[in-house]
Amino acid sequence: MLPLRHLFEWVDTFPSSIYIREDLTLFPLLLTVHVVGMCIFSGLVIMMDLRLLGVGNMRTPFTQVQRRLFPWQAVGMAVSATTGLILLYGQPMRYYTNVFWWSKVMMMVLASVNLLAFHFGTYESVYKWDSDAKIPSGARLAAAISLVLWAVVIMSGRLMAYNWFNKT
Amino acid sequence: MNMQKFFEWFGAWPLSLGIRESTWIYAFVQSFHLVALGVFFGSVLIVDLRLLGTGMRERPIAQVARDAWPWYKWSFVALLVTGIPQLLSNSSREYYSPYFWFKMEVMIVALIYTATVRRRVTMADESRVGPIWGKVVGLVSIVLWFSVAIPARLIGLL
Repeated sequence: MLPLRHLFEWVDTFPSSIYIREDLTLFPLLLTVHVVGMCIFSGLVIMMDLRLLGVGNMRTPFTQVQRRLFPWQAVGMAVSATTGLILLYGQPMRYYTNVFWWSKVMMMVLASVNLLAFHFGTYESVYKWDSDAKIPSGARLAAAISLVLWAVVIMSGRLMAYNWFNKT
Repeated sequence: MNMQKFFEWFGAWPLSLGIRESTWIYAFVQSFHLVALGVFFGSVLIVDLRLLGTGMRERPIAQVARDAWPWYKWSFVALLVTGIPQLLSNSSREYYSPYFWFKMEVMIVALIYTATVRRRVTMADESRVGPIWGKVVGLVSIVLWFSVAIPARLIGLL
């Protein structure tokens, strides 16, 4: 992780990074918009996962839920990713030393792997079970993993406000 | 008993003090509150986007709304269960925060609006509602609920 540490330490010295860090209104503004993006993204991902798990939105075939919600999930992710990256750019060393930031990033990586595994796995046969109440176990597993991972991402994000277990 | 006295009174409960003094309980309650918020917004937006004519538009609005209802109801319960301890343990901060009062007032309006106007429109025959009204009702719902969530985030920041 040393090269990453060097990168973060380098960014930490940028005048624009220092500017974001020292501006008193930017932090609350960015954090609030980040949460707005989170509401849209996580909300609609959860709705999709509940359908895939077979416990929610069962009156709609899975592919309709997935295709129709995807553009809005992307909007939410774009909002959260943009504000999140600016927050990170403004205080790279604060996050580098924060255990919950690492947990959040790792969980997002795992969520992406889970998404790809599902997309190129069980999703290939979706036409067979699209409208069914009984969903293949592989798909339900992907949904359960996704729900748990995004919940941990949200919780880690909230806990980043605390400096417990900070690394040096 | 006036409102300020009331806040001071429940802020002094052993339960309130216990939550305030334990960093762990408070932090995890906040975290679960946000997860519940995610589910709640999902259940709200899935219907409002449909009302706006986007989202799952192959399905009748009433079907989308019926599916979303249990998640709306139970995630709101989860928000209450995780919200009340935060209020108890932070009573004086909440009392003096204009964002807290704004949030609570808009929340009451949003709940009433959802149970009356929005419910009637989502359950009505779509051909009778007309394309404009559905959109207006969905948009108002989105604006109301974000007007609850945004000041909530600001209570602890400003």
